[in-house]
Amino acid sequence: MEAVKSINLVKVYHSKETVEALKSVNISIGKGELFTLLGPNGAGKTTFLRIISTQLLLTEGEAYVFGYNVTTQPEEVRKHIAVVPQDVATYGNFTPWEYCYYFSLLRGISKRRVAEKAEKALKAVELWDLRNRPCATLSGGEKRRAIIASVLVSDVEVLMLDEPTSGLDAIARRNVWAVLRDMVEQGKTIVLTTHIMEEAEMVSDRLAIIHKGMVVAEGTPDQIKGLAKERFRVVVEGNLENLGLTENNNHTVKFGSKHIIYVKNEDEAIELVGKALKKGLKAETAPVTLEDAFVGLVGGETD
Amino acid sequence: MNLKVLKDVLVITALKSIPDLKRQPLMIFLIGLISSLPLYFIVVFGGQVSYGLIGAMVSTVSFIGMSAAIQDISWDRYVKIREMIIAMPVHPISYAMGIALAPLVLSAPSLIFFGAIAMLLGGLTLASLFWAAIALILCWATVSSIGFLISTYLIKASPYTLNSIANILGIALGFIPPVYYPEEMLGSFSWISAIFPTSNAASLIRAYSGSLDLPFEMVIARWLILIVTMVVFAFITAAKARWREP
Repeated sequence: MEAVKSINLVKVYHSKETVEALKSVNISIGKGELFTLLGPNGAGKTTFLRIISTQLLLTEGEAYVFGYNVTTQPEEVRKHIAVVPQDVATYGNFTPWEYCYYFSLLRGISKRRVAEKAEKALKAVELWDLRNRPCATLSGGEKRRAIIASVLVSDVEVLMLDEPTSGLDAIARRNVWAVLRDMVEQGKTIVLTTHIMEEAEMVSDRLAIIHKGMVVAEGTPDQIKGLAKERFRVVVEGNLENLGLTENNNHTVKFGSKHIIYVKNEDEAIELVGKALKKGLKAETAPVTLEDAFVGLVGGETD
Repeated sequence: MNLKVLKDVLVITALKSIPDLKRQPLMIFLIGLISSLPLYFIVVFGGQVSYGLIGAMVSTVSFIGMSAAIQDISWDRYVKIREMIIAMPVHPISYAMGIALAPLVLSAPSLIFFGAIAMLLGGLTLASLFWAAIALILCWATVSSIGFLISTYLIKASPYTLNSIANILGIALGFIPPVYYPEEMLGSFSWISAIFPTSNAASLIRAYSGSLDLPFEMVIARWLILIVTMVVFAFITAAKARWREP
């Protein structure tokens, strides 16, 4: 049985204008998998997460968590999930310990086991030494980790995290990634949304690219990268005309004096780097990134 | 209502009061201080202090009922803690009750202080304590329900707007109707006192303490008004409030 499954999921918001946020989304997430929803702002990632976490009603279709219908059996679903919403803030007067303590009690964990579980969760997010400091005195990354600890302590099977590292510095972000991968090693299922490509590539077992409410690609990060038309990218700094290339006859992206030239294979990439170096230009090559594939799939547009 | 629902009420009450109490212990005096401000004028202008003390008790429960139901819920929405709680096996009733009860815990010292002084001055009798407690609880429940209803309808309003609304309504309900002053001062309009849950509760407490002469039928009628108002607002709130967004 899948941990999370959506069948032809549709969500329409009716406010001043009608917005179709999700258009027949079909996603299956296996148990013990870290699945990422990747997409530009407004793509529908948060809407999907809010529906499967029983916060938002769907318009059409079905969604299940461990076989429980999110529309008709929300109480059952809630026993299996924990959520970290996007841009979640903390109560300034709460300490990380109090977050873990009270949230575990609400989860129905006995007082006897709370201390042990809170210690484990706080150590996992490296907040044990700061456990008694009010959140108002913690950094942004520490606050976010306090919230994540309050979710980890719950011991539920599915964790749903909406852009959990948004706004964090690189070190704090990597700490969070490490915690997430540890949770997956322990058999938890994680559903993550992000628009950070590196994050999606580093932590995901599988991912889906959502664009304008539709899944435009789904697979492992390597499979998604394989969907790019070209396999290699060459970054050249300087004038391309010296290489006999123009921006029109190659798939080229320009950032000031830097150009990314996409080529079909490694031989072509090495040849191009060689040419560039001979002309005294700076050049390097690498396989295409997830971001390259993503931009290719969503057509360079954002909502 | 199962045991988990009741247990969660206590947990939410604790989480909404204990950390605040630990880190800002002076806040327990704050609500009492606001409610006791009119007492200063009563003392200066020669009014009955015992009347004012009952007014301060009623105004305290009214103010905290309104502010908790509006400010706490809007703040929880703003910091998105509410979203985390919705996705937990927590009943909405536990959440609402916990939120409403927490400030009652924080204001208990003020209530006890006002009650004790009122008893010393003869404005509250030992025999009337039970009825005073019931009237205060009903007043708090009614005003909290009104607050929850407002926060249900103003779901898109900013926390700052909702804070202002809560403060205006809290002050209006506590200070405009005859809560701190005798309803007889309104003359032929003294019936207005029965309309507002705050002044109605204050008059009932005074009637049981012997400082307001109300016929027995009128006492019954006032209890009924207080109970019906509470039930109506609680019912509308329960019907309109949505735990899950549509």
